[in-house]
Order: sequence, then structure tokens, then C-alpha cells
Amino acid sequence: MLDFLRNCPQYLANGLANGCLYVLVAMGFNIIYNSTGIINFAQGEFSMFGGLFAYALAVSAGLPLPLAALLAVLATAAVGGIMERAMIYPLRRAGVLTAIIATVGASIFFKSLGRVFWPSEAYKVPEFTPGTFRLPGATVSRQFLWVIGLTVICVALVYVFFSRTRAGKAMRACSVNRQAATLVGINVSRMSLYSFILAAALGGAAGLISAPFASYGMGLEMGVKGFTASVVGGLGNTFGAVVGGLVLGLLEELIPGFLTVVLGVSTGYKGAVAAIILIAVLLFRPQGLLGRGMVEKV
Amino acid sequence: MRDTPEDGKVLRYGKGGGPLSSAVRGALSLVRSYPVFLGLGVFLGLLPLWADYLSRPLGIPIVMVMRLVGIYTIAAVGLNLLMGYAGQVSLGHGAFFGIGAYTSALLCVKAHFPPWLGIPAAVVVAALVGLAVAPVLRLRGHYLAMATLGLGMVFFVFMREMTWLTGGNDGLRNIPPLSLPGLAVGEGRNYLRKEYHFIWVIALLVLLFCFNLVRSRSGRAMRALHQSEVAAEVMGVDVSWEKIKVFVLSAALAGLAGGIFAHIQGYIDPNLFTIVLSIQLVTMVVVGGMESIWGAVAGAVVITFIPKVVEALPKWLGEVPRWVEKYSNYEGIIYGLILVLTMVFMPSGITKGLSDMISYRRSPFVNPFRRRALD
Repeated sequence: MLDFLRNCPQYLANGLANGCLYVLVAMGFNIIYNSTGIINFAQGEFSMFGGLFAYALAVSAGLPLPLAALLAVLATAAVGGIMERAMIYPLRRAGVLTAIIATVGASIFFKSLGRVFWPSEAYKVPEFTPGTFRLPGATVSRQFLWVIGLTVICVALVYVFFSRTRAGKAMRACSVNRQAATLVGINVSRMSLYSFILAAALGGAAGLISAPFASYGMGLEMGVKGFTASVVGGLGNTFGAVVGGLVLGLLEELIPGFLTVVLGVSTGYKGAVAAIILIAVLLFRPQGLLGRGMVEKV
Repeated sequence: MRDTPEDGKVLRYGKGGGPLSSAVRGALSLVRSYPVFLGLGVFLGLLPLWADYLSRPLGIPIVMVMRLVGIYTIAAVGLNLLMGYAGQVSLGHGAFFGIGAYTSALLCVKAHFPPWLGIPAAVVVAALVGLAVAPVLRLRGHYLAMATLGLGMVFFVFMREMTWLTGGNDGLRNIPPLSLPGLAVGEGRNYLRKEYHFIWVIALLVLLFCFNLVRSRSGRAMRALHQSEVAAEVMGVDVSWEKIKVFVLSAALAGLAGGIFAHIQGYIDPNLFTIVLSIQLVTMVVVGGMESIWGAVAGAVVITFIPKVVEALPKWLGEVPRWVEKYSNYEGIIYGLILVLTMVFMPSGITKGLSDMISYRRSPFVNPFRRRALD
């Protein structure tokens, strides 16, 4: 028990760092859900693209890191836009089941595409500033500060976008009532396109700061964890995602840490924690910890 | 009413009309109203006699692959009941397949059960696990899809980590071949043929059962769920009970398929039962056509043969394209494209698309890009 308490600062640091990534992915889920009513099962693959593109541009092509990062985010955003035009727009009148299967298909497709071009198990995306520093009770990589800083910046930008810009307000209108939005002259299908571009950019950003490693297989995990974060925060509540992501990040470190240090359970079970939290939250508090009540149309 | 053998024929059932009694009645009327079934049975029964002549020139071991098709048919038909007929998505069905495989394999390897006892045990265990996780059925749509995906992940992690039981990543070896009491099936001369017949007899029985089930009273209740749960409830359908029933049945069928699979492979490990398998099963259901029993068969055939055809390509072309060697890398691209393109251009699947084309002389494709009002 003492050992566990001694490790706590380290768990908190790791949990916050991972939590920030989940915040970005979860915001992507929510933005798409709000404007189209779809849960995009390929959301995690946007993170994969972010990481792999950053690797390709920074390491293989040798561009300076800030430029490579920016281009990687833009390229991922483009992937999101293409996906929306090619697949989501034609399915705009289809049912939930169809949308689920199509986005699952897209996720498998992206994952394999990543595997064809980047077949190894792991690619080391360079850190913005390598090295670590010590806090009382925890060793933290310097990347950690970048992760927190960039997440704060992304959340702030998204907030400004939704509260101050015309396009952002139009997207919020879509999430309230799509038909009414159409009637006041908002181009709903264009908003759907914007939401995919924005969500892909956020996912890509998460992927490229999730250094040190990116791989073709990271999408599924990122997707499930990001979705869990968005459900914990209340699906569709864009800023609930911030709380949800951080809570999930912390729980994901603390629960396995406790089980391993105190009860001696193998660390291999860590992969199941997020999925179990997801199922538990869906069953017992589907509206999320701070969600508004869920209304289901029949 | 889809899939009816002859349009306009009223299918009357007496009181109750549960799946079992209707299966008995169905068996009696087999000769009269199921020519397709008899045809398929005869065709499949005779297939090994001529398949070998085709296998060599094609470079595809047909009988060997058809065994797998039979196994996947059993699982896909169960998933189709759940997804196509009852409208409940499951992205974790590979886990039930895995549970069946592990149950039978463990009983046979560690407790020395004969396979013909291990496989029924696999069905029972998979059904019980299905019953245990049935609370997720309170969820709908996206939530249900994500929750079942999560269940699949949890299953995989546990199979990998419970090394004392499952052997972890090293898997289980020396699983005995199929057998019936006093009769070896998976050994000796022509063992592939014997396994093939064994599997397809079971698969056809499963198909017959499901065929009658969807026409029975509970089958109609199940299909009512798909349209509208509220309307079904109003009409007196016990919605949550019907959902649990179909979920447990589809889990049991996946377990049956998994149990057989373990014995024809002789070796299993957790990596065989990941999300990839779940997606494969979903692809079979979607491609063949949801809400269609024959669709599940068609889907199983198509999805199982694609990799074999790709592997045989060099033999046909006389040269080896570089990318064939790493087929597993491309597998996902093919599945992903199939799923997306089917949903966009042929949302009701191959069987429906083709039968519409034949009976109404219209294109099997839809044009989703056509603009309409309010776009």
C-alpha cells in the first residue's frame, strides 16, 4: 500500500499526459456526433495518421519538426474531409446501423493503409524537446509540458471557434436541430464536412504528440479510449470531453497501478481497463458524469 | 416478408409456434416447400466428387476451404439473426467464437473429453457468457456497437493474460481432431472430406433451424424490434426478453462454430479471435445481405474465398506480383472497401441486390449522390 502511495505522483503525471490525448480524440467524437449524429468509428485512425505522417515528414523527409507537425495535422484534416465527402455525405439519409458499419469499414481500411506504408510495429516520432525533468516523486518527460500546452491551446481554439465564429455557431445550430438549421439557410452538409475536418485535425494532433511511438495498430485503442472519455464527459458535450479525458487518463493509471502493486495482478490487464470503464459507464450512467439527460427519438 | 419460398403463400402456424415445434413442422414440409434447401444439400453433398478436379487447375483446395465456409456460415447466420433480423449490432462476436474454441479445446486437451462432448459444451458456455453480458442489450445503436467492441477487447486481454489456463500468447496445441462416438472424422484417409461432410451437415441443420425460426412467432417478434422497439412493445412483444433470446442464440451459434474450428485447426491462440475476426463476421453478414439467411451463406463464401483467390493469383497469372506475398497487409483494405462500398452502393447486400435485379429488372446499385430536397 505504501508503495502504491509512493508511486501516486508518477501515476498522476502519466495519467494527465495520456488524458490530454483522450481529451483531443473525445472532442473529435463529440464534434462529429453533434453535427451529423454519427459516431465515427474511424476517429482513432486519425490519430494513427497524425503520428505516422509526422514520422514520415520529420524523419523520412527530414523537414523541421514544427513544420512537419503542422503539415501532418493538415494532411490528417484532409483525410477527414475526403472521408466525409466520399462516404458520410452519400449516407446522409441512411440509418444508424449503416453508418456504424460504414465507419467501421473506414477504420479497417485506414488501418491497413497505414500498415502497407508503415509496416513496422513502432515508429519513433521525435519529441519536440527530448529529455526529462524531476518533480517530487515523479520523473516526467519534457514532452509532457508540450502535451499539456498544446491540449490547452487546442481546447481554447475550439472554444473560440464554437462561440465566436460564424461557422462554429452554424455547427452548433446543426447540433440543436438540423432541419431548422437548413431553414435558416445553413448548409448542413457543409457543416458535416467542417466537423470531420476539425475532428480529424484534433485526432491527428493527439497522434503526433503521443510520442514516442506511432504504429498502424494504435487507432483501435485510441478510438475506444477517446469514445470512453467522451461518454464519461457526456456524449456531445464538447467540453465534458475535457473532464472525461482527464478522468479516464487518471483512472487508467491508478486502477492497474493499485491492482499490480497492492494485489500483484499482472500488468498485462491494463489494456482492458478502458473497455471495462466504458461498459460500466454505458450501463450505469449513459448520460455521462456531467451529461445532460439523453433524449432518444423513436 | 422476405425469403419466403413462394410469394403469397400464407405460412400458418398453430398455437405457440416456438422455434422447436416449427422446426419439426419445417422438416416435414421440407420436401414440399424447400426445394432450395434440398438443392443446396444435394449440391454440397456431391461437391467433393468433382471439386478435386477443379482444385488443381485453380490452385485453391476447394474442399478444404469449404470446411471453413461451413464454419463461418454457422457463425454468420447467428450474427445475421442478431444484426439483420433483430437490428442489434455486435462488433464483438469474434469473442464468442473464441470462447467456443477455447472451451472445447481446453476440455479436450486438459480433461481429455472427446470432441463430440467438447463441442456441445462450447455451445453451452458461449450461450451462458452471452447471457451474462446480456445487460449490454439495454444499449442501442452506437452505444451497443461500442460496448460489444469493448467486450471483444476485454475477452482478448483475458485470454492473453490467463496463461495458467489458456497458455497465453503461445496458445493451445495438440487439440484432438473431430470425432463422433466410435467414429474418427478428422483422421485417416480422406479426412478433409469427412470433416467437410460433418461440418456441412451441422451447418445445414443450423440453416434449417434459423430458416424456420425467422418465420415463427418469436421470429416475427424479433423482426418487429428492428423496425421500432416502441411499436413492438405496444404490440405486446416483450422487447428485452426477445433481445436476450436472439443474443444468446447468436452467441451459442458462434460458440458452436468456434468449437468446430478448434478441432479442425488443432491449434489456437488469442490472436485468432481479435476484432479482426469480429469484423470478418460482420462483413459476411453485410455483404451477403442483412435480414437474409441465404445472405449469410453467400457472405461466408465470398469472404472466405477472397484471400484464397488472391493467394492463387500468381498461379493464374504465371508470375508473382510482389504484393501477394504479404496478403495479410492488404486484407483490411479489402474488407474495409467491401464494407464501405456495400453500405454506400448496395445497402441491402448481394443476395437482395441480385434478386431485385432478376425479378424487377432494375439495377442492383443505388445512387447515393442524387440530390433531393433539404440537402
